[in-house]
Amino acid sequence: MSAPILEIKQVYKLFGGLAANSDVSFQMEEGMILGLIGPNGAGKTTLFNCITGYYPPTRGEVLFQGKRLNGLEPDQVCKLGMARTWQKVRPLAKMTVLDNVMVGALCRTGSLKVARDIALEQLHVVKLEHKNGFLAGGLPIGERKKLEVARVLATKPTLLLLDEVMGGLNPAESDEIIQLILDLKKRGLTQMVIEHDMKAIMRISDRIVVLNSGAKLAEGLPQEIVSNKDVITAYLGDALE
Amino acid sequence: MLRARKPARGLAALPLVLAVVATILLCLFPAVVSSPYTLHVMILIFLSVVQGESWNVLGGYTGQYSVGHAAYFGMGAYVTIMLLQFKGIAPWYGMWAAVAAAIVLGLVIGSITFRLRGPYFVLASIAVAEIIRLVTLNWKEVTNGAEGILLSGVPPLKIGETVITDWSSKVPFYYAGLALAVLTILVNYAVQHSKLGYYFQAIREDQDAAHSLGIPLARYKNIALAISAFFTAWSGAFYGLYVGFVDPSTVQTVEVSVSIVLICIIGGIGTILGPVVGSLVLVPLAEALRSNLIADGLFALGLDPTSRTGLFLKENLAHAHVLIYGILVVVVILFMPDGVLGYVKAVTRKRATRTEAA
Repeated sequence: MSAPILEIKQVYKLFGGLAANSDVSFQMEEGMILGLIGPNGAGKTTLFNCITGYYPPTRGEVLFQGKRLNGLEPDQVCKLGMARTWQKVRPLAKMTVLDNVMVGALCRTGSLKVARDIALEQLHVVKLEHKNGFLAGGLPIGERKKLEVARVLATKPTLLLLDEVMGGLNPAESDEIIQLILDLKKRGLTQMVIEHDMKAIMRISDRIVVLNSGAKLAEGLPQEIVSNKDVITAYLGDALE
Repeated sequence: MLRARKPARGLAALPLVLAVVATILLCLFPAVVSSPYTLHVMILIFLSVVQGESWNVLGGYTGQYSVGHAAYFGMGAYVTIMLLQFKGIAPWYGMWAAVAAAIVLGLVIGSITFRLRGPYFVLASIAVAEIIRLVTLNWKEVTNGAEGILLSGVPPLKIGETVITDWSSKVPFYYAGLALAVLTILVNYAVQHSKLGYYFQAIREDQDAAHSLGIPLARYKNIALAISAFFTAWSGAFYGLYVGFVDPSTVQTVEVSVSIVLICIIGGIGTILGPVVGSLVLVPLAEALRSNLIADGLFALGLDPTSRTGLFLKENLAHAHVLIYGILVVVVILFMPDGVLGYVKAVTRKRATRTEAA
């Protein structure tokens, strides 16, 4: 087995006395899709922020391709090849769709021409190229999510972290995104996906990590997770006596 | 849904032609108009364009509002004039020292405050401008303090032995100002159509998103600040040489900082043309107020100059420019939040869609 692309070792993130993440450890192998689930407030987005440099972990380390990420800034993490999307989408509202994706592409090139080509390619991948000239602020939510994905793809990541890209989408749009994630996997892109839609997450994930109250509750194959008693309890509460 | 302009590939043909024609006309202007006062107003407009364009790089494109650009303006003016008057260093060399000093000052402020989010940069910009003013005021041995420095003359500009100009009339200053304005606009245009421009705008739109897309925030904000300080210091040096006198109360006060911001707010923030429009509105307005043109105009329209209202206006309107500025800003912010330029664009767009619909 090859060396893991991402290793999370005993990561703690404390906000004052509140442990948003405590003792979280897991690994990702290249090419896999890892689903990260858990009830609201379980610390999924906090963990994303710890991995991508927005918060320094209080304790523990994050290794990406063997390199320690603790203390790096988000832009440096992005340069290393790890890119994330935002649960609450962050379009650059007064710039066009194409310009938004070009900003991502400029991470790897200084030439606007090259960046434009990369951007057009990624907009084609997410099927948004017909909206090139529109202002990003005017897009409906489904297309904003796609834009978000196209923009991080343009930074040429080797590991992609998707934070609820299907949140707020209708079933048809969700299906499109699922297809997109699977297509990206076929191309060898490693992905970590936070999602609340259980059906979707079971379908796409190779492995699932469940967080609850900041700590890792379970890890395993999708079919193991659905039958895991602790997970069911965390989501639904104890059975009535 | 808003459809934006097609992404520009270089200058679109029509604006390019218009810009070239305007520049040529401006070059011919002094040959036709010889009134020193008109030339003076034109020079003030050029100066204002340079100030507005340079503030715009930082405030308009990068979204980092500075209300302390008087620091860079004053630095440009003072260093150039001091080197010329006290050390005899020709301004075309001294200017570069002034620009360097302004950039260093900017980077000191920037590298401390750009690491923080929120209003810290604005506050620091105001504070530093005040500190610089107070230092100038009190460090009398070096700066002459409140007396200011009166320039005994600008040395003639020579290439080899040929004297190009001895700066004895307004015309050479007119051309120098025009060149400076055109150059500032060109550099601004080039910056906005490069990687820098994309990164600046991304930072303005959403810092977290920009950060996650691989943009080192502090570094790019500092670059924007350095570009802005560069041109502001240039305009300061030009102003000092043109007026031939600097003192803290004319080049280093908060009023200077605010008037630089106003050029952009009135014209339109974050556009190349905005500061030009703002200057065309503000400079003539300030001149009209100062020379009491408005009261004269009202008298010409039939208001009796000897009536009470007439006397009151004649007496006070000239001193009311700050008041009128204030009203103007309120009106612009209420009714034209994107500045005059944005308002005109919105109106023409509405007209166009209406005619399309008809």
